[in-house]
This record gives sequence, C-alpha cells and structure tokens, in this order.
Amino acid sequence: MNFAFDENQQLLRESTRRFLADRQPLSAVRARLESASTFDRAVWEEGAALGWTAMLVPTEYDGGSVTHQPLVDAVAIAEELGRVLYPGPFLPTNVVADAIAREGTDEQRKRFLAPIARGETVAAWCLTADGTPDLDAVAVTASGAPGGGLTLDGVARFVHDAHVADLLLVAGRTGASVVQVLVPADHAGVETRVLGGIDLTRRLCEVRFAGVTVDPEAVVGDGARTPDAIARSLRVATVLQAAEAVGAADELFARTVEYAKERVQFGRAIGSFQAIKHKLANLLVELEAARAATHDAALALADGADDAEEAVAVAGSYVRDACAHLSGEALQTHGGIGFTWEHDVHLYVRRARSEQLLYGDPAWHRERLCTLVEARVPDGAAGAGAV
Amino acid sequence: MDVTVPPIPPAYDGYRERVRAFVAEHRPDLGWTPRAGMRVPDDEADVEKLRAWVRALYDAGFAVDPPDGRGDEFESRILREELGRAGVPYVLGNPLVAGALRLFGTDEQRRTYLPPIARGDHIWTQLFSEPDAGSDLASLTTRADRDGDHFAVNGQKVWSTWAQFADFGYLLARTEPVAGPAGITAFILDMRTPGVTTRPLREMTGTSDFNEVFLDDVRIPAGNVIGEPGQGWRVATASLATERGGVGLGGTADAVAALVGMARRYRRGGAPAIEDSAVRQDIARFAARSRIQRALGYRVATKAAAGTVDAWDAPLTKIWYSELNLELCEYAMALQGPVGALVEGEPLAHDSGRWQDAFLYARAYTIAGGSNEIMRNLIAERGLGLPREARGS
Repeated sequence: MNFAFDENQQLLRESTRRFLADRQPLSAVRARLESASTFDRAVWEEGAALGWTAMLVPTEYDGGSVTHQPLVDAVAIAEELGRVLYPGPFLPTNVVADAIAREGTDEQRKRFLAPIARGETVAAWCLTADGTPDLDAVAVTASGAPGGGLTLDGVARFVHDAHVADLLLVAGRTGASVVQVLVPADHAGVETRVLGGIDLTRRLCEVRFAGVTVDPEAVVGDGARTPDAIARSLRVATVLQAAEAVGAADELFARTVEYAKERVQFGRAIGSFQAIKHKLANLLVELEAARAATHDAALALADGADDAEEAVAVAGSYVRDACAHLSGEALQTHGGIGFTWEHDVHLYVRRARSEQLLYGDPAWHRERLCTLVEARVPDGAAGAGAV
Repeated sequence: MDVTVPPIPPAYDGYRERVRAFVAEHRPDLGWTPRAGMRVPDDEADVEKLRAWVRALYDAGFAVDPPDGRGDEFESRILREELGRAGVPYVLGNPLVAGALRLFGTDEQRRTYLPPIARGDHIWTQLFSEPDAGSDLASLTTRADRDGDHFAVNGQKVWSTWAQFADFGYLLARTEPVAGPAGITAFILDMRTPGVTTRPLREMTGTSDFNEVFLDDVRIPAGNVIGEPGQGWRVATASLATERGGVGLGGTADAVAALVGMARRYRRGGAPAIEDSAVRQDIARFAARSRIQRALGYRVATKAAAGTVDAWDAPLTKIWYSELNLELCEYAMALQGPVGALVEGEPLAHDSGRWQDAFLYARAYTIAGGSNEIMRNLIAERGLGLPREARGS
C-alpha cells in the first residue's frame, strides 16, 4: 500500500511550485484582477514545457506522464496551481486533451494533441447552458448541414476560460442524442462573453453559436458513446477541481496558522486561545479529509478501479464543501484584515465558492453517490425488526 | 501512489476455509450477547469460555497479533475479517500494555507478559484515570512510595475496562512528590495483590464495562516498573497514541449499507424514506465520510511505513471515527422514526435494539482515550505548534 505521491510525482510537484513562485506568484495575478483577462500566455507555454498539459496525452503526440498513473501526476500539478490560485485553463485543457486522446480519430489526435501538449493550443469545454452536468441542459443544437457536416446554434455558459481558448469542445444536441464537436474558437459565428463572476482570479464565459457549420471530421467519437465519454470527462474534471481546491485550502490554512501565531491581542498570540485552536484543529481535520478523498478518487480513476465512480462522487460531495468552509473560517480567523481588498484571503474565499458550484455541485454528487451506494446494498439489508 | 490495498491472492482461499471451519467448531456458546464497542461479559463463566476460545485460536496458529510482532499480512487480514464476522470477541482485556512493553519493557518483561496476552492467558486492565484526573491525566495523585525493593501504592483509579476479570493492571502512579508528568511511573500490577479492590461501574448503557479500582497499601516489586521511574508519562503517551490510531480502524461501511436498508423500510411523508431527497443527501454524506475514514487510514498507514507520521494523525483519526460513529447511530434512530425509541428486549425494536445500544455507547469513543476536546488541543499544540494552554494554579 502506498497512499502518497511517489518520488517522481514529488519532483514534479516541487518543480511546479518553484516555477510558480518565480513566474506566477499570486501577486502577479493580483495585478491583473480588474483587467479583462488574468491569463498570461507566456507563463502557460513555460508551464506546458514542465508538463502541465502533457500528462493525459500519449507520448506519440508529444505528451507523456511521469508515472503509470497520469491522472495522479496531473493531481500533483493541480494542487500546486490551486495553491497560488493559478488563473489559466489547466482543468479544461486537460479535460479536452483526455477526451480527444480517448475518443478522437487518429486524424484528430495528430492535429490537436501535440499543440495542446506543447502549450500552443488552449482548449475550453462547452457543455450546458445552466452550468450543471445534466445532458438535458445542453442548449446547442447540432443540425445536419449540406455535405454531411453539422451546424451549431445555441449557447453554453459557465465555460472556464473560453475567452483565451483556441479550441472548443462543444456538446450539441442532435434529435434525442448528444454529440461532441471540435470548433476553432475564432470560427465565424462563435461569440464569447466573459461573465461577471465572484472569482476574480479566473474567468467564466458564455459562448454563443450562431450558424457555426463544421465538417463531419469535427465530430469526436461515436455518437452512442458520447454520454459515457462526457461522464468520463466530468470525473476527470471533478478530480482535478478537487486537487486545485485542496492546494488552495492547504496554502490558505498554512497562512492562517502563521497569522494565529503572530497576531497578538490581550497580550497573547490569538492562537493560544482555545476558540482559535479548536477552530484550526477542525479545519485541519477537514483539510486532511479533503486531501485523502481527492487522492482516493485520483487513484481509483487512474487505476480503473471498479468503484472509481463512487470514489469520485465522494470527492465531488465532500472536498469543495470542506475547502469552501475552510476559506470562510480562515477569513474569520484573520479578523478585520481579512475583510480588506489588499489581503489575499478574499481571493481564496472567492475561488472556493465559485468552484463549489461548477461541474456538478456537491449536492449533485451526493445524489449520484446515494444512487451508487443503493445499487450495492441488497434488498432486506435493514436488519431484523418487527415493524 | 500505488494500489490502495492489495487484493488477497486466491492461494489464501484454503487458509480462509480453515479459519471458517475452526470458528464453526470452536466458537464459544456465550450466555451474553456482545454489543457495540469494547464490551465486557456479565459473568465469570463467559470469561472462561472466551479465554478457552482465544487459547484455542492461538494454539491452532490463528493469532491475530502474534507476540513476535510478525505475521503474514494476508493471513492477518483474513483472520480479522472472519473473526469479526463471527461476532465473538478475540481480544480480551485492554491490550494497550503490549505496546508499552514492546517499546519500554525489559527483555524479561516481554518474555513473561507478551505471549500470555496473545494466548488469552492474561487479561489486562488499564489503571490511568482517577476521579480528579480525567482529561488532565498528568495531575494524577495515586502515590507509589519506595519501600526497599517494593513500592507501596495508595489511591483510586476509574474507567478501567475488564478490571473485574483482569489478571494484571497497567498502572500509572506518582513516585516523586512533584506536580505534572515528571514524577509519574508506569507499573505492572498483579491484580490479585492484597489491597486491590475492584468495583464495577454501571454506565448509561445499563451494562458494566468499566470499573473503579481502589488501591490500599498495595505492594509492587520494584522489578515491575515499565521503563525507568519517572518515565511513566512517556510510556503512557506512546501507548495511548497507538490506542487512538487503533480507534479509527473499525469500518463504518456496513453501517452505511444498513442506513440504506432502513431508508427503504421506514416511511416518510407516505413514501419510503429512500425516495426523500433530503434523506438521500444525508445518506450520501455518511457514505462519503465512511469512505474518507478508510482513505485516512490508508494515508496514516503509508506515513507510518515511511516514518513520517505527524503529531496530528492519531488524534485526527480518533475525532473522525468517533464523531462519525456517534452521528451514524443518531441518524439510524432518526430513520427508524418512533421505533427508534425502542431498545433491546422489546420485540418491536429494530434489529434487537443494536443501534440504540451503539448510540448509548458511542460517547465512550468521543471521551475515552482523551476526549475529543483534548484531541483538538493536541492537534493545535503538538501538530500545528500553537502556544500551549496556560495551567491554572
């Protein structure tokens, strides 16, 4: 049994941390908070050289993971990105890369994966209009076009970083079924608007499609498999999102403990008061539980375990709720200084609360988890009783 | 990262069959129904049957925790699974002293005491807490005064499980007249020594799982000190940490499955509770916490193997398990509706009242071995390095 990052994953983590401290500290993101985009393309390309977009891409397309568990490698990176509230499209780009690698044609893999792995292509995932993962909320229609292609009309919202994307993976409705299509972000008829969001370090977008006609070769995968492919993408997204949340919570918690040791009131460090001690002890319990849940899900999904879906539902249910709660209690522990614009703590609170609502909120994952647990409990398992 | 728990190879199927056959043949016919937690039989006759059972297991080579500390990993897992399924205790008394003897005992103490613990020949109890020294254990006042090659012990202990049937006690007493941890020494006490009086307590469960122990001029040979005189606090702290780590090892997955069963059977608003979305959310919360308990266990085991355990790991695991266990019991009773108010012995009770008993016992986990408030202090002070609490005078 080994429930910790191995040596190569540790190295990946440390190189990512050093790089971010040097090239993308939170202070650099902070300087762009109120501009149209917080994304720094040069940093992204250097990050890609460190492997940020390579883990889920096969080696023949310039990808490659550091261990036999690419998703766990990606989790090691995501935790570090979360720590500094990294603003770039790590999650959507990796989700799209994974979808193309698993479902795409040879031609699509050749054309898209290497540029993604090298950091030249940034990808975004356009799924539904209401931001839930429910396929009945897919609001782009994909109707047959002359020549066998498809014409997309409609809208997707709550799309991470579409405003800086080069490539869109778009879910579209054809009659009763759903297809996924690759569309260049600069295609005529595609219009992207940045949504005013509570998370100041990362942007959510609305993407509108008006008469966007693509070739039949743009369709990813076999139509009958698309719901399963989307479910897989959601599992990957849930794990990476949890890892980012844990990284952010870990950093914020460490800063909060330091503050509790330094801040003196009534002639004592506030961390000497049991009200603060027990609050921080409770937060550590939640943080360690969130980390364990995230690693459990990453391992199960990476290993293709039978109960991987359940492990992911546990992470989706617990991790973001715990991290969002932690962010609020961290702010409370900071007192007045935590309420100021200048202090970083609100940026963590904003990120945690925003992420909690995307890719299926915790209540959505809990409903899924209950269904999965029910499926493995036989009837009559309640124990003996006379009523 | 690697696979979480290696699956048991098929080559061990024969071993499992042998364990099952052994259990079927030798399981004791007890006059007592084991309940939730570390529970103790009502009478001596059952204790003798349990001793014979543990001895038979040991002699047949089915020792869960072999005294040499070695054992096949898969065999050990199979044993725990099968014995757990049998629902008969296979650890008698409080084995905490075994850790203390391994870490601090002399060779002779280890040879004398460890094998009989594993074989069920010696039942041990723990003599730590006192009426005025609970959470503040280091303020204990039981005295052990040196008298030639013996110590003379006077004082009162409480919360000692199995003491009414115990052969030996793992005792903490003050050998130096100084306050706090410095003057405390750990002893091996033969419970049959004159001056030892044991009186069972009756707890809120209605059962007697704990005892008061009175010590009046009890003479203990100096050779029965564990470690050095004055080192008792270190000895106790090291062995308590193993107890806290152990608390989290009980699985809760079966309890979550039972919640699903109850939610199918009992109704809310005219429909099975399982169809109520609020109930589904609650069950999922428990399922998540239960699986996370397992993952936390893997994480701590990995850190233990690498020698990187943090000071917060054991208290954190104890908090997680004990609070989950309590809330599971509370929720199970809530799902049962009015039937949840019925207990063992009432024919209408659900599952012979096991949830009600487990609920009443659950506070043992949140209080014993250091209350969860003390656990939070340990996490904050030893784990996070926050300033120590000032002592009152």
